[in-house]
Amino acid sequence: MNVSLNEVEATAKRAARGAGYSWGLAEEAAKATRWLCAQGQNGTRALAQLLQLELTRAPAQHTPPNLSSEWQSDDQLCPLATGALLSDCALRLNSSPIEIRNVAVPELLLPFAANAARLLKTCVSLEYDQAVAETDGYDLSLTALIPNHAHQVLVRLGGQVNTPAPHRTRADPDPSDWDILNQFAHRTYAPATEESRLLGAGAGLSDND
Amino acid sequence: MNHVSTDIPRRDPAQVMRLSRLGSLHQCRLSFMRQLTRRMARENWTFTRTAFDIDENGVGHAVYTAQGPDHAYSLVAFAHDLPPEQRSDRVIAEAWDATFALFDGIPTEQDIQRLSENVPLQEAGRVSESELSLSRANRSVRLWTHVVDRLAAGQQPDLEQIYKVGYLMRTTAVYGSGKFGAADREKIANRPELNAPFQAEMLSVYLTRTFVRDLVQHVARTKGGAQTADLDPEIARWLGIGNSTGLGMAPFIVNHPVLFNNWIMAREEALARVRSLQTASEDEARQFRKIYDRSKLSMSWWRSEHPVQIEKLASLNADLAAISDYLEQNDLTVDKPWDRLIRWSETALGEEGQELLASLVLEPYGDLVDGITGCMADGNAQAQVINGGMTVEQVRTAIRDRFDWALDLDWSAEANCARAWYVSEEKLEPRLGERFEEPIVAYEQPLAPARDAALAYADLADWGSDNPIAEFLLRHPEHRHTIRRAQIGLIAPYGELRDNTISASVMPIDMLRAKLSFFGATHFDPRSDRWVRICMYAGAPYPENLNTSTADWWVYPELPQ
Repeated sequence: MNVSLNEVEATAKRAARGAGYSWGLAEEAAKATRWLCAQGQNGTRALAQLLQLELTRAPAQHTPPNLSSEWQSDDQLCPLATGALLSDCALRLNSSPIEIRNVAVPELLLPFAANAARLLKTCVSLEYDQAVAETDGYDLSLTALIPNHAHQVLVRLGGQVNTPAPHRTRADPDPSDWDILNQFAHRTYAPATEESRLLGAGAGLSDND
Repeated sequence: MNHVSTDIPRRDPAQVMRLSRLGSLHQCRLSFMRQLTRRMARENWTFTRTAFDIDENGVGHAVYTAQGPDHAYSLVAFAHDLPPEQRSDRVIAEAWDATFALFDGIPTEQDIQRLSENVPLQEAGRVSESELSLSRANRSVRLWTHVVDRLAAGQQPDLEQIYKVGYLMRTTAVYGSGKFGAADREKIANRPELNAPFQAEMLSVYLTRTFVRDLVQHVARTKGGAQTADLDPEIARWLGIGNSTGLGMAPFIVNHPVLFNNWIMAREEALARVRSLQTASEDEARQFRKIYDRSKLSMSWWRSEHPVQIEKLASLNADLAAISDYLEQNDLTVDKPWDRLIRWSETALGEEGQELLASLVLEPYGDLVDGITGCMADGNAQAQVINGGMTVEQVRTAIRDRFDWALDLDWSAEANCARAWYVSEEKLEPRLGERFEEPIVAYEQPLAPARDAALAYADLADWGSDNPIAEFLLRHPEHRHTIRRAQIGLIAPYGELRDNTISASVMPIDMLRAKLSFFGATHFDPRSDRWVRICMYAGAPYPENLNTSTADWWVYPELPQ
């Protein structure tokens, strides 16, 4: 199904929240998924893959414990929590690269690196195990598909976007991914009751006038 | 915003951003409908009805195309035969008297076929990147019947009845910005004619009004045959389009702090510029007095059965009397006349009257203030990106500056958090529930920025002032949305409500009115504390009469000669 990027963003936000992320991280997930789709990447699949890992059951285990130069944890890192940190720490890239170890669905780091690139007005490159991604915040070029899991990601300033992926104004999520996101999103909706139907929206007067 | 020297500063956000004041806002010359009609007249847009295929039961479709300098836009309208028992303004309705899409360009037969299979279904259908909005409308049964019966009998409808109701149909949702498959705003945001907020939606409603006028004539003719009267254009002019709006609109102003800031700041900047004028010409003073008298006439048609609005209207009427006295006794040409008027209003009038004057004093000064309309869109996506290098103390200060009133509230007291905003699974309708009476807490939406600010502020107390906020966010992801808002607040001084959106006494209709006033709506008629009907485009010229002399002050009825 062909959907608007606004629908991608709205669905991703609800899905991430439904999966147990904080509202702030759900907002990040929404912008990140939209950015990937706008770059022609399969953002909805990346988010669906991540949410199915259920890392929110023990968030601290999947978050870097501190801001030291190498980011890792005992368990695999969550790319939303780690990506948000990367975006928050963009200025550090001016002094040294940031090394991230053992991260799930590392494609989701790209939009956060793009935030940093826009903020610093320069190119940011991400060296994955076998792939290199470069972004100036607006365009993205990739040398190879990004794996579902990365042992190491090195984020640093530099590089250039040589062969940018064409921008897209729509997304074509795989129906099974879209279903997964909508199932998570559904967890944020309160079941309708007759009382809420009448009171919650404040209607009750006749509209046939 | 271009710099124009102003001695008088913009009003303090702490004064402006109270819900009771925002719930007293009136349309002004910066409103989105008036921006659109001025532009279409200035640019000589042309309008054509390319299809009107409606049968004797009033069922079929029609197409209206508006051609601007670079782009054409077409309203594709479907008219239906709706059983009365299905006529509901709620979002959970599943059928309507008429349904619409605004098509980007001129639709082909295939487009119309595709739309005929989807638009009548509204949320249950899909539109495409070629559509800019999706909407529906229901008849105002009483006025519709009256107008059809009168015309069919060879008579004109009664103007007094039209003034009281204001419209033949009211829209119950106008969806844009990528909803249900429509084009994202990014597709159109760089077109000059659609850059200002909600211009596609306002165009859709403008064309809808023409369609409804044509439809009522058609239905009357089917009933009355040869004796049917042609609706007098002077009467038709007072038929606007209604809108019936519930809670769906309230979260919008919380969820778009930069956009909402830009609207409020534009009006405040316009007001500051006018107040800063040392003198006014005789012409400007005369214009103001005339517009004031015309607006009084419009206010006299404003009806509501809701106790809160009845009280507000009584206050407004008292204010109107006081303003009339003031205008009789005061010279408006010397001694900072507009600043004097506004300062007087703050001592003598209620918020309805104060905000009416704040809107009306802009009217003689199009050259001074209309350029500000170019600043009302939100093109600052980067504002959403958190600056993790900001220190804990800087963030604390940002929170204090906006929420000092909220930091000492007892947020566990029932009265302060009695309500919770949630989304029902039923058509994803936004609702407001009772936190302590309904099982909704697990579903609460982040629409209580003041409470959340207080919670974050309390947790920030344990952190060193010079620590970067990124460290705090790593430990406290639950405050991330609040820290983002605090930083947005630094560039959007009018982006934050200075009231509690979950208190036992919150009036969501105040949030609805704030937004609708910027559309240019009039005659706010609350149906409950969370539901409001309004009127749009009453008095506006139809396409065949739209020109630079009719395009602007149509919202103020001409006084009888």
